Amino acid sequence: MNRDIRTHSQEGPDVLDVNGLRKTYASAGRAVEAVHDLTFRLRAGELACLVGPSGCGKTTLLKCVAGLLAPTGGTVAVAGHPVHSPPPDMAVVFQEYGRSLFPWLTVRGNVELPLKEKRLPRARRNALVEEALEAVGLAASASSHPWELSGGMQQRVAIARAIAYEPRVLLMDEPFAAVDAQTRADLEDLVRGLWQRFDMTVLFVTHDIDEAVYLGQRVLVLSSAPTVVQDDIEIDLPEQRDQLTTRSAQRFTELRARVHGQIQQAKRAST
Amino acid sequence: MSTNPRSVSAPARALSFLARLLLLPALLVGVWWWAASGEGSFYLPTPGTVATTFGEVWLSERFLTDALPSIGLLLTGFALAAVLGVGAGVALGLSRTLRDLTEPVLEFLRAVPPPVLVPLLMLLVGLDSTMRVAVIASGCVWPVLLNTIEGVRSVDPVLSDTCRVYRIRGRRRLTTLVLRSASPQIMTGLRQALSIAVILMVISEMFASSSGLGFAVVQFQRGFAIPEMWTGIVLLGLLGVALSLLFGQVEKRVLSWHRGLRATARGG
Repeated sequence: MNRDIRTHSQEGPDVLDVNGLRKTYASAGRAVEAVHDLTFRLRAGELACLVGPSGCGKTTLLKCVAGLLAPTGGTVAVAGHPVHSPPPDMAVVFQEYGRSLFPWLTVRGNVELPLKEKRLPRARRNALVEEALEAVGLAASASSHPWELSGGMQQRVAIARAIAYEPRVLLMDEPFAAVDAQTRADLEDLVRGLWQRFDMTVLFVTHDIDEAVYLGQRVLVLSSAPTVVQDDIEIDLPEQRDQLTTRSAQRFTELRARVHGQIQQAKRAST
Repeated sequence: MSTNPRSVSAPARALSFLARLLLLPALLVGVWWWAASGEGSFYLPTPGTVATTFGEVWLSERFLTDALPSIGLLLTGFALAAVLGVGAGVALGLSRTLRDLTEPVLEFLRAVPPPVLVPLLMLLVGLDSTMRVAVIASGCVWPVLLNTIEGVRSVDPVLSDTCRVYRIRGRRRLTTLVLRSASPQIMTGLRQALSIAVILMVISEMFASSSGLGFAVVQFQRGFAIPEMWTGIVLLGLLGVALSLLFGQVEKRVLSWHRGLRATARGG
């Protein structure tokens, strides 16, 4: 199924432009620098993973990019427009799926809500909701409430909501950190499938090196706080990936080792 | 661990449930009867006498002239308090500045016992039903207001961020996020307000009124119509129970998601 309505402008090659981003938290007389100086760009249609040691300010960075948090310095631009508040063509999938879905709305209601705010006509809303729920394999659960579903299914609802919104950029903040390993593998494949099917740029934040290498076309390795981009690695694995063959490939192991080495180096540098 | 629900048959379970439900009331009525059948219990009529008198007193025109208007005023005052309390509570819950500005005044007003407003309101708005509605509303508004503020302030930050990301603002944010998030606390406030409303209705009518349930009870007492006085008390009790059951039904409907959420959270 193709989305004919979607007309992404391709003139600007950089969909996401993060330039000199800095974030300092001021608390009780002392300032904590969470993000030091971050610069990176994502081309249209790219799937990039941000990976870094825990506590390196990944969530802070993501919130700044999403326009949920004002940076202390530097700029974020989506499709050439500077971000001061959440931009209209961006969706975010949060780690806390249980808390990012409206428990008083059904699955369908949750997916449809942003589309109502977009003032899309009912027929278009219905089509988008159906398509998104079908894409994440939840068409049968449309009239359930989120709390009636398992954790993995709840995160699928949040992903469906993001897809139905037709974002140009999709941010995912450690979305699978709280689900079990099997569900996690399924969801990873789901994200790659959706990214290939729907035309969007994905920035996927994770602390899991394997996940970053498996998912991404590119892996950006962050240093410990105060955070900078430590390394930017092109993942030259084949486009079609699957959990078994990709993860056992020689190249996968090499890339994984490289990312791992960078993160160890980042940790050492901070101590 | 749960016991096997099939081990006891359905009618037997219903019977045992009914027995547990009615055991204490039956016991209390028994004690009442025993105490009232003694010598010289003029002020304590037997439950039988009260029951017969109840029919005579309330299954008559008096129900229309004394009981229904009271219930009407009660519900009007309660509704007014609900609207004011939720409205002001949302505004105060959302705005820190507004909270800081109003906190000392609110603390003072909250500390004033509402019955003490009866003499004042008698002077200000007179003896009519407006005064009674004003007294009920002024007492009921506090639990609604304070619980609403608490509920609005405890909106989940992740859900709030979700709304910002999807640019859900204004009215839709208010109805889909703020009011729904706060609804469990709002319902708690309303439930407290309901029992306060019954109390204030009776007090305002005892103090300053020529009709109503509270007035009727006082009038019977002054005329030494003791069984009649008791029926008024019973009727007020029944009214309280009926309102509580009705409220429970509304709450069940409004908060079905909340009960479901909590049940699954407990189940793991």
